[in-house]
Amino acid sequence: MGRSEIRIAGAGGQGVVTAGRILAEAAILCGRQATHSQVYGPQSRGGASRSDIVIATEQIGFPLADRVDLLIVLSGEAYEKYEPELGDDSRLIVDSGCTTDSSNNTTALFPVVETARSISGGLLATGVVALGVLQRFTEVVEADALRSAVARRVPPKHRDMNLKALEAGMDLVCVAS
Amino acid sequence: MAAGCTFFGGYPITPSSGIAEQMVRSLPGAGGVFVQMEDEIASLAAVIGASLAGSKAMTATSGPGFSLMQEHIGYAAMAEVPCVIVNVMRGGPSTGLPTSPSQGDVMQARWGTHGDHPAIVLAPSSVGEVYDLTVKAFNLAERFRTPVIVLYDEIVGHTRESVTLSPSVEVVDRVAPDAGLQNFLPKAAQANGVPPMSGFGDGYRFHVTGLAHDERGFPTEDAEVAGDLITRLHTKVEDHADEITDVETFMMDDADIAIFAIGIVGRSAREAVGQARAAGAKVGLIRPVTLWPFPSAEVAAVAEQVDTLIVAEMNLGQMIGEVERAAGQRTHIVSHLRADGEPITPSALLDVIESSSRSEEGS
Repeated sequence: MGRSEIRIAGAGGQGVVTAGRILAEAAILCGRQATHSQVYGPQSRGGASRSDIVIATEQIGFPLADRVDLLIVLSGEAYEKYEPELGDDSRLIVDSGCTTDSSNNTTALFPVVETARSISGGLLATGVVALGVLQRFTEVVEADALRSAVARRVPPKHRDMNLKALEAGMDLVCVAS
Repeated sequence: MAAGCTFFGGYPITPSSGIAEQMVRSLPGAGGVFVQMEDEIASLAAVIGASLAGSKAMTATSGPGFSLMQEHIGYAAMAEVPCVIVNVMRGGPSTGLPTSPSQGDVMQARWGTHGDHPAIVLAPSSVGEVYDLTVKAFNLAERFRTPVIVLYDEIVGHTRESVTLSPSVEVVDRVAPDAGLQNFLPKAAQANGVPPMSGFGDGYRFHVTGLAHDERGFPTEDAEVAGDLITRLHTKVEDHADEITDVETFMMDDADIAIFAIGIVGRSAREAVGQARAAGAKVGLIRPVTLWPFPSAEVAAVAEQVDTLIVAEMNLGQMIGEVERAAGQRTHIVSHLRADGEPITPSALLDVIESSSRSEEGS
């Protein structure tokens, strides 16, 4: 693996930045180089939010995604904005509430937002559920590294809930395949 | 803090707030002081006061906050007060694009405050380099008794990545007076152009002013004394420029095309150079790590070597004038600019490299 670029895009409040941070840390725990950059608007809640994670075996130059290998989309707005930018060989994981179009065989639909809501009662765990899907779908990082990174990066009082959300995300892929 | 910083005075502003956030967590428990002031003018005033009292002090800001600090950057230069100012650049002018990257302040960092004044500006491109160059900024500030600016952009400011930190860093402290209490002249320079510095309350004669002043620190309108002071403020830095200047080059050995870029664009360029090399193009990178004093000799040497020098910057063309001045007529210069809040990507630079290669073959 030379360089792998992952973009997680959604709305403010879905835990998109936290998820990106967790994924980069998990990659580092797996012995790789990783960067995480966050892109968001001036609003503190709502609005678009994005994490770019670059994972590589060697020193990383540009720390943002330039040609996205894998896009995870968690809101309709993010789908409209980033789906058209995808290259032919890029893969897309999209929340099934954002689109019903899975005609492209590199696109996979999962009920990420709905699963997060059933576990946390809100949106906050959405990014972590998406990480579970991502892990099982691509194995870009090891599951145990991801579990450790989640445990380290979420507040202690939400740790169990987030670990449950991660497993639920992984299970979505098993059910689907 | 590794460099000895014990004081932070600031006012939070995106995208620099992370620095204040970390300092408020770390400084008080380590015996330091964190003060949130009412605005950025007061923030740098507090930093200057803390430094005069003997502390190593810093602030961090962005966009409009950096504009407000200009007055006191000049004051610190004139009164020769060591301090470190971090400016995490965002889109401007005015409040502009608060959460977007930019390199629109590179000239403001040099010439933002009025009057002739020296400038030392460091331009990190990674998280690890932010650490190393902030330490270096404190050391240079202490050595030359002058404000030092650490200048980077929103992407570097908001990137998380793994870093390897040295277990210990070299720390430089301001030179203390060695004359007796009675004979001490607070602005009498040593041979290197820098006056020794006492802390307020140490007992030495103490007078600080933004007015032109003599060796006692008292205001003067004497043309010779004022002229000597302004000249010394410059030469104390410029005479040692070769010890300050730091430039990273990448794959320059046999390059016939080079990219000149700082900060995040330097990282983009490094990626683009790697990809272009894989496709057979002889391209390299020159990335100033210290932006001011400007690395004119290094740029001139690159200009002598290459047929095309691509100057890539996230503004509407601020550094290119300096590059042209240093390069003279030695090479063909291509300007690549972007100022819409989005970064210059490796693919964009690859396109510029390809079109430069084609026009070279055509000539």
